[in-house]
Amino acid sequence: MGRIVLENVTKSFGDAQVIPPLDLTIEDGEFAVFVGPSGCGKSTLLRLIAGLEETTSGRIVIDDNDATQVPPSKRGLAMVFQSYALYPHMSVRKNIAFPLRMAKMDQAAIDTKVEAAAKILNLADYLEQKPGQLSGGQRQRVAIGRAIVREPAAFLFDEPLSNLDAALRVGMRLEISELHNRLNTTMIYVTHDQVEAMTMADKIVVLRAGNIEQVGSPLDLYHTPRNIFVAGFIGSPKMNIIDGPEAEKQGATSIGFRPEHTDVSTTEGMWKGRVGVAEHLGSDTFIHVHDTGLADMITVRITGDIAVTHGDDIYLTPQMDKLHKFDADGLRMA
Amino acid sequence: MSNRTLPRLLQTPAVIMLLIWMLIPLSLTLYFSFIRYVLNNLRRPEWTTPSFSNWRGFGNYEFVLNSKDFLFAIQNSLLIVGSILFLTVILGVLIAVMINKAFPGQGIVRVLLISPFFVMPAVNAVLWVNMILDPVLGLQGLAVAGINDLIGSLQSAPGVGWFFSLWPEVKPISFRATQTSAYAVIIMVTWQWTPFAVLIFMTSLQSEDQQQKEAAVLDGAGTFSQFRFLTLPHLGRPIAIVVMIQAIFHLSLYAEIEIVSRGNGNKNLPYLIGEFANNNIGAASATGIFAVILANIVAIFLLRMIGKTLME
Ligand SMILES: Nc1ncnc2c1ncn2[C@@H]1O[C@H](COP(=O)(O)OP(=O)(O)O)[C@@H](O)[C@H]1O
Ligand SMILES: [Mg+2]
Repeated sequence: MGRIVLENVTKSFGDAQVIPPLDLTIEDGEFAVFVGPSGCGKSTLLRLIAGLEETTSGRIVIDDNDATQVPPSKRGLAMVFQSYALYPHMSVRKNIAFPLRMAKMDQAAIDTKVEAAAKILNLADYLEQKPGQLSGGQRQRVAIGRAIVREPAAFLFDEPLSNLDAALRVGMRLEISELHNRLNTTMIYVTHDQVEAMTMADKIVVLRAGNIEQVGSPLDLYHTPRNIFVAGFIGSPKMNIIDGPEAEKQGATSIGFRPEHTDVSTTEGMWKGRVGVAEHLGSDTFIHVHDTGLADMITVRITGDIAVTHGDDIYLTPQMDKLHKFDADGLRMA
Repeated sequence: MSNRTLPRLLQTPAVIMLLIWMLIPLSLTLYFSFIRYVLNNLRRPEWTTPSFSNWRGFGNYEFVLNSKDFLFAIQNSLLIVGSILFLTVILGVLIAVMINKAFPGQGIVRVLLISPFFVMPAVNAVLWVNMILDPVLGLQGLAVAGINDLIGSLQSAPGVGWFFSLWPEVKPISFRATQTSAYAVIIMVTWQWTPFAVLIFMTSLQSEDQQQKEAAVLDGAGTFSQFRFLTLPHLGRPIAIVVMIQAIFHLSLYAEIEIVSRGNGNKNLPYLIGEFANNNIGAASATGIFAVILANIVAIFLLRMIGKTLME
């Protein structure tokens, strides 16, 4: 079980309120991702749930029990830190066994569990090594192993992949998703990378300055962002947002259209621009278009290729059915 | 000139200086330890100048080994060094962990804690032996007198007097006596060197990884387990440093021993060297060589022990 409910939770450091009153429910077995720019309070929120920070006010309920005053070790949550926080003087085996040893489990049971975890995580050959002898990805797995053996009500991950190189990151992303499918335990995952959020989450929580901007499934957020911030944050390359007369023509203060929802032509279209950088990925091409008179730069994405080079004229037409309209407060218009 | 020559040339003076610094005293000591060399001898005036014609072989070493104080001095050296190391490391770790937490007046407390380290050893010894440990005039004398007064007045109290008359009178301990002078030295040097240990351990504690601590908290480790499984291993290297440096320093303690009891009942190898050196330079040099050997044995032993127990 691992249903986590935050009711009116706030957190201040001195005078600075980092988390304004916030309500959130994470269902049992859900993979929830907190995403937002650096410094928006994601880690703080996670640490509040873990019990490493005390709430300034509000309630944290885990599985229908008020856990607000419960010490971290009694909440039944396991956390994986960005720096892995492995114990450097202990072997991998002892690292993974540590929570069980603290729980005074008997040695035979500890060995069985550690070896089972090591097998799942491909660590069986490294059990006697020290963390310092392992690669980044292996250290990450040890940290996950240390969390798994506790059989927690929920896993908390704080930017676990940001110290890994790009290729490894993709691999670990899959492994964590697979782990979630296998264990079916609640996972809360913090990241500033919207790609991780989109690919892994059942539920994404977009945060800005401690406020929840939107909660929803990845595709909800992609198709119906609640405001301009979410619209710009979710999706890669970023959604193009333009204000002014072109937006007013649509009856909105701002309109947004995604690079992949724009038709491109060398001969005719709604707006004319000049090709800047074209990024050819083979399957797709990203074209940065300047001098449209709408915004500094508009990015479009086309599948396949198109014969344009730097400085060529280009015509853009947004797909009207996929146009996003926002009012003066930046909120989505129905 | 090859491109190596110039750097080597530039290094040469430093290297030569170092060699002179180390080799000349060591070779002279070795040389003196194998010849008869005394400062004053009316019957054999030729022994008063060092020369190979006074060759004595291992005679000086035999003489030292057979002298009544030698084994005692080695034992005592080890007792003093071992006790000081034990006490300073334990006190150092405890104090460092205690003052590592933030509390009001932290800065002042830290400065006060470090200050004993800046007292000169001889001054330290004079202060302790006269003002604190002295059985009559020192704090100890005053405290013992006070306790005896208190017991005395309780003995004449109505009702409970019979109980307190069963109590013996408390006797002050004389730390200049044969049996206790080594303890006086241990106490005062521990007082002086604990701050050194605290300073080193405190620096190390400040570099302790806080996320590891948080991970341990989540893993269910209490304060003691965190100390035992994270802090203590983290302090392994600084403890090794403190032990090594102190072992080197305290094997050559001299001022404290001289001031407390003039070597009465409490000699270590350096003090023995000093006594021999009043006249018999050959024997003093042989003792010096023994001291070098002892220092090396202690160093190797300590390194092994620390390496095994603390690095898990
Ligand atoms: N212990 C602390 N004391 C004071 N301010 C803090 C503390 N921890 C975090 N903050 C502040 O809270 C804000 C959110 O921090 P954090 O939760 O770490 O952001 P994120 O993880 O989203 O990058 C930041 O402005 C940070 O400076
Ligand atoms: Mg963070």
